[in-house]
Amino acid sequence: MGLFQKTVRLFRLAFFSILLLSGLTAVLLAGVFFLALKDLPRVPEPLSRIIETPPTEIFAATGERILIIGGREPVPLNRVSPGFLQAVIATEDHRFWEHHGINKIRILKALWVTLFEPGKIQGASTITQQLSKNLFFSFKRSYVRKFQELFVALQIESQYTKREILETYVNQIPFGVGALGIEQASRTFFDKSAIDLNLAEAALLAGLPKSPTRYNPYLYYERAKSRQQTVLQRMVAAGYITSEQADAGASQELKLRQKPAGARTGSYYLDLVIKYLEERYGPEIVYHGGLKITTTIDLPLQSLAVASLQKGLANLERDLYSPAGGKSAGVPAPETFRPQGALVVIETTTGALKALVGGRDYFESEYNRAIQNQRLPGSGFKPFLYYAAFEKLNLNPASVLVDKPVVIPVAGAKDWAPENFEKRFEGPVVLKRAFTNSINTIAAQLVELVGPQDVIKTARRCGIKSRLTPVYSVALGTSGVSPLEMASAFAVFANSGNYFEPFWVSRVEDAYGRVIDEHIVSGEKVLDKNIVYQVVDMMRGVLDEGTGSVIRRMGFDFPAAGKTGTTDGYKDAWFTGFTPTLSTSVWVGFDRDINLRTQQGGGFTGSRAAAPIWAEFMLKASEGEPYREFPIPDDIRFEQVDPVSGCRAVSLSGESVRVALRKGQRVCEADRNSNSEKFESP
Amino acid sequence: MDWAEPRNCREWLFRSFALRPILTILLIFGILFSELRFDWIEQMLGAFLVNTNAGRPQSGAIWEISRQTETARRTLERIVTDRQASQREARNAGSFIEISDGLAPDQGVMLLPDDFRRLYLELPAPIAQEIISPIELLNVFSEDRFTRTYFEKQANGLQVYFLDAENRVLRRLQINADLLELIAQNERSVDGTLDNLPKFKNRIYPADQFLNALESLPDDSRRNVLPQPERLLAIAGRIVRVGISDETISGNIELGFEINAGASMRVVFIPGREWAVWQIRSKLEGKKVETTPFFDSVP
Repeated sequence: MGLFQKTVRLFRLAFFSILLLSGLTAVLLAGVFFLALKDLPRVPEPLSRIIETPPTEIFAATGERILIIGGREPVPLNRVSPGFLQAVIATEDHRFWEHHGINKIRILKALWVTLFEPGKIQGASTITQQLSKNLFFSFKRSYVRKFQELFVALQIESQYTKREILETYVNQIPFGVGALGIEQASRTFFDKSAIDLNLAEAALLAGLPKSPTRYNPYLYYERAKSRQQTVLQRMVAAGYITSEQADAGASQELKLRQKPAGARTGSYYLDLVIKYLEERYGPEIVYHGGLKITTTIDLPLQSLAVASLQKGLANLERDLYSPAGGKSAGVPAPETFRPQGALVVIETTTGALKALVGGRDYFESEYNRAIQNQRLPGSGFKPFLYYAAFEKLNLNPASVLVDKPVVIPVAGAKDWAPENFEKRFEGPVVLKRAFTNSINTIAAQLVELVGPQDVIKTARRCGIKSRLTPVYSVALGTSGVSPLEMASAFAVFANSGNYFEPFWVSRVEDAYGRVIDEHIVSGEKVLDKNIVYQVVDMMRGVLDEGTGSVIRRMGFDFPAAGKTGTTDGYKDAWFTGFTPTLSTSVWVGFDRDINLRTQQGGGFTGSRAAAPIWAEFMLKASEGEPYREFPIPDDIRFEQVDPVSGCRAVSLSGESVRVALRKGQRVCEADRNSNSEKFESP
Repeated sequence: MDWAEPRNCREWLFRSFALRPILTILLIFGILFSELRFDWIEQMLGAFLVNTNAGRPQSGAIWEISRQTETARRTLERIVTDRQASQREARNAGSFIEISDGLAPDQGVMLLPDDFRRLYLELPAPIAQEIISPIELLNVFSEDRFTRTYFEKQANGLQVYFLDAENRVLRRLQINADLLELIAQNERSVDGTLDNLPKFKNRIYPADQFLNALESLPDDSRRNVLPQPERLLAIAGRIVRVGISDETISGNIELGFEINAGASMRVVFIPGREWAVWQIRSKLEGKKVETTPFFDSVP
């Protein structure tokens, strides 16, 4: 056989092979078509059905809308900035006006890249394909899904005009931060309507749908700007704008809305609200029911709470010893070695949650430390102990116990020998002084007399729901509680012994404004108002002359009471305090088992780490508020007593302590040696 | 025609550039080009899919959302309808019992203060007093802040909250199960005679004897034995006998008035204050009457 014949045969073989292959491909494609057709979804008529889900809206107590869940704000194309439409077409699908659902050249190019450039994947989806995918298909990838997506795109192109397709597309794309569709996005990011977007803003928004989180301008401004420039270059390439216009757009300053609805402000709070709603009504109603929810959040207070906590933590970090790299000063520590915090504000007379911050930054960590964190409150638990002691043993703030080394035998366990923070003993001291100076040995003697069960009972009456272990040390806060529980429980003291269940949703309406649910603000008398006042008077002492006096030094001079708390090894720092109207709890600590140590080797106490945050917040929250005193019950009278003997002070000068006494309680006279109420612990 | 392999290059070229292969190639390229230019395959497939659209399933994200929206809408509609029905029933209720019966456990209903006032005024004085004294009620009604009343059914009865415009509770009242039972008895009657009711056994008296004894009691006692005599007057028929129950409920003892209505007999139940009923019973049995109320539930 000659060379020519061999060549001809080779050609012939090749020709028939290609023919066979083409035939098989055609059969395969037909098969795929019919396979994909089998459960191809029906396309709705009209396509605008996608915008029929009513949005669920969440409002602050002050009336501002703070979050929209689901739903959209559709706008016709003539109400969208032409710059945005051009930007989105140039970026996503520059042959949109020409093709019939698919861009074959781009598909071939993408196929080539996928097959012959390992590791690279190039997308080839047109706007119609993206719309098809968003409307009907999940993000699960499969070849059948891909073909189905393509076929639906072909149908959409045959059924609707290009303008209808583009209008539907721009009204449903997610831009991040909860914004769906261009109108919501314009309002969320720039606080303006979609028709008013300028070139720079339009280009920024057109770049977001590729990855709304990655290009979120609130979190990654530089990355978002870079994406904006890419969009502008594509617009130049598509012939929509000149290079000069692109440069002008890129250099234009972007004025992002400071507080995008539903983004940063109150996100921990909103998580709490949404969780509550989901538990009560189910996700279906929350996300598709078009509810109108009025919460109890006070936006100005919430902003103050966020700012106070962030400022306090930043101050703390300056002096904090970082285990990650020696000193943290000047060098940002890794996230796990940065302290966290939480701040909760409750309205004392209703139980309404007015502000809640569950961590330093919601976008760093969504873990809500205000409600999910069960941290040891330390001495912050002592008000429950002192109340129980006053109620059960009829003690009063002038009763005297001796500050001395204490060892309390514990059945079946090691003896309990609590120490004072200052590592010294003061000898005989009245209970008010013991409380304001947070003397642990006195608290230990009291809990031995009262019994841990009664301390727990008092805490339970005040609404503490966390698990409390019935051991002596419970009085010194060795069972975990949340800042929300602490703020709510202390509100009972602020409110003359009345407990209001904390709540955060006050009213729920359907889309037509018909009431579904409303909260009844109902309190319950749980503690005796006279004993409560005695404890409150001692808690005032904490601010005026005790461990929380930093608050007065910072300039907060409203009537207020509270208690610091610090746990062993400085792992938790607390301050929970209240005015007659607001009860606020602040916790500071690490998520990991790390101590709050200063660079000099000391530790951060509740007084040093949490109380300044409390003061910072309350100073601003009380601006312009009237000066309100705690109501004094009729059966309460005051006496000046000697802090050591507890007897009536001879003169009002010097070291005398003012104590609140209930009807029938009395103090010894100064000329006698013993205190009529002196109480010796066993 | 038999096909033969070209034997040389000339023949091969000649055959390649013949009309038929050229037309075939042109046709193939024409098809490909026209598809690239006019997208007719896409249009054909698209048209086919439009025509078969109605027969395809309503599946996929958009339909799922549509279904969820519909379910949510229906559920909310049911919640609102139930709530409105409870509200309507409660507004039209003739007594606290009817309100309680219309509510599921832990369910509540919001009414106007006047609705509470109307129901309160329907009650016999002793029961009304037990719930809240008229003076206290006057005090609450005189408050500007009092705007709504919320009734909540609880395990132990009906809880009533007087609310201000911000839903803060101004006053909370408890109409416990015993009181509701009393109210129910106050409205109850059964067909038949006192002989069919064991709780009245041995304490059944002729009507004239009972009414004479009642008349001989002091005013205060009379009012507490039979707080609403007009209720009996409104009933057609003649009182034949009166029975005194052996049960005490919430400081009250039930009286049964047997009424002959001509064609039928029936018993109407009315509760009287325990201490006053004891007085009339002593009188009926010829014992010395202790006129000072000896229970603490003095009106």
